[in-house]
Amino acid sequence: MTELLLNDIVFLLSFDLRQWRLAKEPVRVLVTGAAGQIGYALLPMIARGIMLGAYQPVILHMLDIPAAAEALNGVKMELVDAAFPLLNGVVATTDVVEACTGVNVAVMVGGFPRKEGMERKDVMSKNVSIYKSQASALEQHAAPNCKEFTPSVPAKNITCLTRLDHNRALVSYVNHATVAGEPVRELVKDDEWLNGEFITTVQQRGAAIIKARKLSSALSVASAACDHIRDWVPGTPEGTWVSMGVYSDGSYNVPAGVIYSFPVTCKNGEWRMDNCPSLEIGRYHVQMRVFPPYLFSFYFFLGLSIDEFSRKKLDLTGAELTEEKELAYSCLSGMHSSLL
Amino acid sequence: MEMEQEHVILLQKILVVLFSVALFWKIIKHMCGLLNIEKEPVTVLVTGAAGKLEPIIINIKFVCSSIGRFSATGQIGYALVPMIARGLMLGPEQPVIIHMLDIELAAEALNGVKMELIDAAFPLLKGVVATTDVTEACQGVNIAVMLGGFPRKEGMERKDVMSKNVAIYKAQASALDQHAAPDCKARKEVLVVANPANTNALILKEFAPSIPDKNITCLTRLDHNRALGQISEKLNVHVSEVKNVIIWGNHSSTQYPDVNHATVKTANGERPVRVAIANDNWLNTEFITTVQQRGAAIIKARKLSSALSAASAACDHIRDWVLGTPKGTWVSMGVCSEGSYGIKAGIIYSFPVTCEKGEWSIVKGLKIDQLSREKMDATARELMEEKTLAYSCLH
Repeated sequence: MTELLLNDIVFLLSFDLRQWRLAKEPVRVLVTGAAGQIGYALLPMIARGIMLGAYQPVILHMLDIPAAAEALNGVKMELVDAAFPLLNGVVATTDVVEACTGVNVAVMVGGFPRKEGMERKDVMSKNVSIYKSQASALEQHAAPNCKEFTPSVPAKNITCLTRLDHNRALVSYVNHATVAGEPVRELVKDDEWLNGEFITTVQQRGAAIIKARKLSSALSVASAACDHIRDWVPGTPEGTWVSMGVYSDGSYNVPAGVIYSFPVTCKNGEWRMDNCPSLEIGRYHVQMRVFPPYLFSFYFFLGLSIDEFSRKKLDLTGAELTEEKELAYSCLSGMHSSLL
Repeated sequence: MEMEQEHVILLQKILVVLFSVALFWKIIKHMCGLLNIEKEPVTVLVTGAAGKLEPIIINIKFVCSSIGRFSATGQIGYALVPMIARGLMLGPEQPVIIHMLDIELAAEALNGVKMELIDAAFPLLKGVVATTDVTEACQGVNIAVMLGGFPRKEGMERKDVMSKNVAIYKAQASALDQHAAPDCKARKEVLVVANPANTNALILKEFAPSIPDKNITCLTRLDHNRALGQISEKLNVHVSEVKNVIIWGNHSSTQYPDVNHATVKTANGERPVRVAIANDNWLNTEFITTVQQRGAAIIKARKLSSALSAASAACDHIRDWVLGTPKGTWVSMGVCSEGSYGIKAGIIYSFPVTCEKGEWSIVKGLKIDQLSREKMDATARELMEEKTLAYSCLH
């Protein structure tokens, strides 16, 4: 009995409570367009545990086009060189099927960017075909509860990134929508700025960064992508919400069947729209642009009266999104008929 | 008999009390770890932080055959600053203020990076200063990571590269000397990454006398991590199972990756790597050249230099320095030599070190065999040559 007690004490003194959280099953994360700028910023963040938590091992799947195969391999070499403790494996490939096998989380960074002189329809058709093939690969080969783009996976698992603009807007307000509980509109007391300059600043932030860096904003995008997934999977902190582009079901007269950005709270890997703490007089709104060219999105707070100004903006982006959807479908059917 | 019984019972009672106290202590410690106590922010300076295409420096002396080639240093800065802001360098509880410095040509790009840092809404980032003024950048700095330097271009003589870098580091050294956090309580740590790293660090040491010699280091952690990676791939184990590789000497092609004291964790405990791999030929030739030339291999594949792993290594270097190395493990850091292992004092040479309470100390008493001795001396010779060259540029 004495020995047992002694053993217990020794065990206890050497036991670290943190150990309980180690040795989890590794999660497979797919990053498409991994050889590019955003991928380069994003991959170390995932491998360091910023996306899924400091005790979650990951296996990275990197996908890119054959033209970028060598660069992709270079990135794989760098990931090996960096000796990340949480990185259990790297798969670098140009084969969509291999990349999507067993994937739990997919971050689709790869797409065809709009170049000067390109028609909107051309960009749209290229991206539609890329995402179509990736979607079918994911549908067939990803792990059952994969979160991102597939028709067989419930629509609620598909989201798009508006977190970047959410972050940008938050910072414009010096940290949060409410500063110590007071509605920000009261504190800022400058409706004109809020309605005008603030909106355009956030809208054109991406362009401002390109102008300054001569390259687009990889760092903040990658960081926002990590925030998005990190809040989705473990959950948002109590009393806060974030913006995610999610599948609309028609709330707030927003057209159903498109990906819209809403304020959501997340818990246990699921997002919900109706659980956001309501603001007293949160009559402001922010209009956002996401990842041109494919999706616009609109951000608004629930539980408040939408005034004239907001309604107009809401409808404007609603119309634009529906237009894009029709354009995308026309490209799809165009492709179908050419295949026949 | 009865007395003994009583004693045993008493002993058991004591043990139960100890058990409860130990359990209580563990729980309290764990709870304290979860508390989010705001610490004083640490100011980190990153030079060469702009992260854009290498500015087209039109200089009639050099034929710039590599216009449009990416600046190695700028790239690393772009990868490094989010890591710092996420707490990967100083721990997830440590708020930071980032100072970014670069040349005037990169001022706009630098501002772009500042905008991005703000956009990313990092909770630990308490401030960003983006400037081209050395003095402003060095104000109140606790930790400096020097990425900025003049990279070698095709057609350039070694002497030319050296003289440019000597000038740059002399200026930065005096700025740091005067303006970095003055009081003894605030630490001042310097990590030089830009090549020629060892010699740049040496210049810094000479011209910033108020910073103690032991606070100036250069980055060889990248090569250390690369060596770990190569061994783990060869043995097909996870890289965290391999440890205690040593990188000796200069961060150049004469560096010597030494596995004689490295171990790998197996089912039967820790085994020396040399025994586990059982291929001395590979270890003495191919392994060494792979690690030495890894940088070039990555440039060949990516058409860009290795920013991601370099930034990660810089974070590892500072984090282990400040927070301490795990028990039984050492890392490689380029530090000021004071004569250990027969290396002449007064140069910045990469040694195996352990760190505790913010101080590094060289691991003493490791056995050095003949082959290792030769390689270590070769890289030391190169460093002495570079030192002479650097001093000649100064006068």
